[in-house]
Amino acid sequence: MSCSVRLDGVTLDYYVYSVRAQSLRNAVFNMAVGGKLYKDQGDITVVRALENVSFNLEEGDRLALIGHNGSGKTTLLKVIAGIYLPARGRVDVQGEMTSMIALGAGLDMDATGLQNIRKMGAMRMIPAKAIDARMGAIVEFSGLGDFVRLPMKTYSQGMMARLMFACATEFDADVLVLDEWLAAGDADFITKAMERMQGFVDRAKIVVMGTHNFALAQQVCNKVCVMDSGRITYFGPTEGWVAGGGGLKMAEA
Amino acid sequence: MDAVEGAVRDIIDGFRLTPLWSRLGWEQTVARFRRTILGPFWLTANLLAISFALAFVFGALSGVDYRTNFPTIIGGILAWNLIGGVLGEASGVFLASAGLMQTMKLPLTFHVLLMMHRAFINFLAQLIAFWVVLALLRLGALPTWHILLSLPLVLANMTLMSLIVAIPSTRFRDINQTVLFLTQILFFLTPIFWAPATAARPLRLVAQYSPLAHLLELVRQPLLGHAPALLSWEWGFATLFAQFAIVIVMLALFRKRVVFWL
Repeated sequence: MSCSVRLDGVTLDYYVYSVRAQSLRNAVFNMAVGGKLYKDQGDITVVRALENVSFNLEEGDRLALIGHNGSGKTTLLKVIAGIYLPARGRVDVQGEMTSMIALGAGLDMDATGLQNIRKMGAMRMIPAKAIDARMGAIVEFSGLGDFVRLPMKTYSQGMMARLMFACATEFDADVLVLDEWLAAGDADFITKAMERMQGFVDRAKIVVMGTHNFALAQQVCNKVCVMDSGRITYFGPTEGWVAGGGGLKMAEA
Repeated sequence: MDAVEGAVRDIIDGFRLTPLWSRLGWEQTVARFRRTILGPFWLTANLLAISFALAFVFGALSGVDYRTNFPTIIGGILAWNLIGGVLGEASGVFLASAGLMQTMKLPLTFHVLLMMHRAFINFLAQLIAFWVVLALLRLGALPTWHILLSLPLVLANMTLMSLIVAIPSTRFRDINQTVLFLTQILFFLTPIFWAPATAARPLRLVAQYSPLAHLLELVRQPLLGHAPALLSWEWGFATLFAQFAIVIVMLALFRKRVVFWL
């Protein structure tokens, strides 16, 4: 089955309720980050998080989303994952989707790592037998050893990231959406994760990844999308972005 | 028309995810009693405590043996724990699921069905306690077959009512608070521990025209071995259709917005 991600003129507004629009506006204009506040209706502040975003991804594409904090990366990932339905524009995703957007989301902190692996599998409608059959492989890849028998609340951020990533990538999905929290893992784990994502590409899957790690973006991704204030300022092959000095500029900024 | 189609699809997708919410519902119920010694007994504690207390107080007030009214009272509390319990929880259902809603693509109906499933597990546990206690007191009665139709009807009604309450409650947090205290008032206004026949006229009218009172009887009467009144059936089906229409309109208008209201 072929998979693809198509976005056509996607515009998305956040409505922020019950905030004093006046003071928030002042605060935001003084910050070097963020989407554009463009109107307010009394107590409602509207933030344009994405403006007219369009691109196509085909099989085997790995896209790195790059941009400052608040530039719209996570919002775009959520739109691709179908969590936010855009006010305008079309989103068309062909293929089964796995998204890992917030670290620890949907996990039961009082349950053990093993129980949470089963739960994450269940959330993706994977039969319990299939999960148990791959349990060993997931635990091994996560590198958590006996810690999988402890409640998740004893885990560090990095350990949680390891478990979630191991679980999400053990079962094939056509489209994998990852936010920047992968960086919570240590260097060893990120190397392993990059290898595994290469494997995804060999099986003609699509990866969309929000990241601040430019080395990671260059090594894993064949396409780069640079976001600024909800708009795309660069979309194209990684080589073009590196040649244009994008990586350097962003790293300095 | 697109929006209406989306609304219908939301409900269909919610039911298509039955394996997921039924599993999560169990897990969440079990998780509630993790590290408790009595475990599932706590599901029934509320029913038994309130029923005995009310039966004792009203028995003492009216001078009749508490056994006279006990089956009606415990049946009423059992049914109310389902109806009022759902109503009280419904206003915060999306707020409670906020983490999940912001990380996974799920229809709104899913979150309501998950809550309904937990409420139903709760109800079944209490139903067992209801039968055990009535049998021990030699007050037990065999349920009539009507329950097989009336219980699904009530569950469907409460699912729709939850959506109707939950959507505006998420946007306007004052509604959320209002529903919580309204539920408490409705506990007294619904003929749970008093009988409409012996009540003063205003109270009798409330019992007659309150949809919740009819839903309550649809659950209680068959469990006490009586057929529910025809009027209750009519109310049950009428509210089902009316609420369905409201839900479709609400989902069509606000389905996409709810996640931004969290």
